[in-house]
Amino acid sequence: MTVLASIRDLTVTYRRDGSEVAALKGISLDIMVGDCLAIIGESGSGKSTLALAIAGLLPASARIKGSVAWSWLSSGAEAPPSVLPDISPARGEIAPSSALSPITYIAEGEPSEKQPISPLAGEMSGRTEGGVTERQPFKSEPSKIPLGGRDIGFIFQDPSASLDPVMPIGKQIAEVARTHLGLSWPQAYAKAKTLLERVRLPDPDSALHAFPHQLSGGQKQRAVIAAAIAAGPKLLIADEATSALDTIVQAEIVALIRRLVTEDGMTLLFISHDIALAAELAERIAVFRHGQLVELGTTAQIVGAPTQAYTRALLDAHIGLDAEPLLNQAGLHA
Amino acid sequence: MVSNLTRRYRRGGKTINAVDDVSFTIEPGETLALAGPSGSGKSTIARLVLRLIEPDAGGIEFEGNDFLALGSAALRAQRARLQMVFQDPLAAFNPRATVARVLDDPLRIHGIASRAERPRRVAALLERVGLSADLAPRAIHEISGGQRQRVAIARAIATKPSLIVLDEAVSALDVSVRGQILELLLDLQRQERIAYLFISHDLGVVRAVAHRVILLDAGRIAESGDARDVIDAPQSAIGKALVAAAPRLNRTRSLGRP
Repeated sequence: MTVLASIRDLTVTYRRDGSEVAALKGISLDIMVGDCLAIIGESGSGKSTLALAIAGLLPASARIKGSVAWSWLSSGAEAPPSVLPDISPARGEIAPSSALSPITYIAEGEPSEKQPISPLAGEMSGRTEGGVTERQPFKSEPSKIPLGGRDIGFIFQDPSASLDPVMPIGKQIAEVARTHLGLSWPQAYAKAKTLLERVRLPDPDSALHAFPHQLSGGQKQRAVIAAAIAAGPKLLIADEATSALDTIVQAEIVALIRRLVTEDGMTLLFISHDIALAAELAERIAVFRHGQLVELGTTAQIVGAPTQAYTRALLDAHIGLDAEPLLNQAGLHA
Repeated sequence: MVSNLTRRYRRGGKTINAVDDVSFTIEPGETLALAGPSGSGKSTIARLVLRLIEPDAGGIEFEGNDFLALGSAALRAQRARLQMVFQDPLAAFNPRATVARVLDDPLRIHGIASRAERPRRVAALLERVGLSADLAPRAIHEISGGQRQRVAIARAIATKPSLIVLDEAVSALDVSVRGQILELLLDLQRQERIAYLFISHDLGVVRAVAHRVILLDAGRIAESGDARDVIDAPQSAIGKALVAAAPRLNRTRSLGRP
């Protein structure tokens, strides 16, 4: 297997109320091409910070050490457009301040005040205040640095925060295709319609012209997924993408992600608090706690033969349909 | 006891039956779960039972009284017996209030304890839900999510309720904390014979803690019965769909992408 991204000694620190809080502590992790990797953890484990770091969406106030090295564009992928089209505001993708994407980090990174901060970066997440990390043009060639929206697709928990409420769904998807694939508007709209069919949105023709508020939560998440894969990204990052959905819709969206990842040969980074859900989807699972990588292994090994007590505790805490009823343990059953 | 409850919403010229002719009873000390997909009417029923909204039809009898006929004074008095815990305690509390203030309010408002006695009662409530009394002076926003939900439970039991509506009360908690909170709720139920109306989308949790379950679909009861019987062998289409969609953790068989 080829390494897609190599994360080395990644430490991310946030300043909060005058004190520094390390959200990630010295993480080293390889994401392989074609990987279906789940990042599992509870609140404060650093799993979302890892996603934002990989995506280059960390807020400017975050202090970053370590490196994320990419090898995908050197391995036969198509070259990026020589000139990036202008990106108009207000849809879920990063607008880089130049043709260089701000993804790779300086080994001993300094806070990035010197970097012009895009007001749009981070918009997709709906929960970071925006801003991009510093770039490192001397360490990697520009062609080897991935670009958010084109090379990396994002799906976050709240589709309403990812979509522009006053722009039709079709335009939001077409814009991604136009921006990153250099299509004309008619071509981009045709592409958007195909994408809406691929994500199985009912009645794609009318969905093209629908506004986000006219769709249900599950339908909105399908539209977000269509936009996320519009430019044919190599890496799809889903950060709690199904956590706000009910169980039935969650299962549908997970099945959709699985199918799209297989069909398009994407690498998937699936971030979740739900170890059972992750186990249904992922081939490998990385367990995070308090900003540290506790355990990494195949799904079968993590679920069937975990080596760390914390992983076992997480598995034991899962209340499945076959769990011993707590009611009987409490001697309460009527 | 709830009979023939109906609540309609009008949206875009169309009338939607959010809750359509729903009847059920909850016995003292019993947990009745309401489960179903988004929009099935779970939370609307919770709000109707709490009389936060009024039904378009149907009746609610609570502790022998016609709950819907109660005037505001009688309703306030009765509300002490009927409490609620929601998914997000931060949204339910004034974030700047202290833990002590949050627990002092119901004791004062319902005249349960004198001013001199209340600090001791607050400390006892905190200990009852597994928290240190030292937490009392802390602000709500300073404590962890699990601690906050314990405070919400302490506030709910402060007025000695016979029924607590738990609307996705453990859904936002980390799994390690969730188990502890469920144990606490079951312990309180055993000690105080509190009944729970337990609203959840998580059938695994419902199966683990509820005596009976009602599966809702589009505002109607699709299926009801013993929680384990229903979930182990659902008969309704929505029951089968909910069970099929629940993530499974098979710890003995190797898993992976099919």
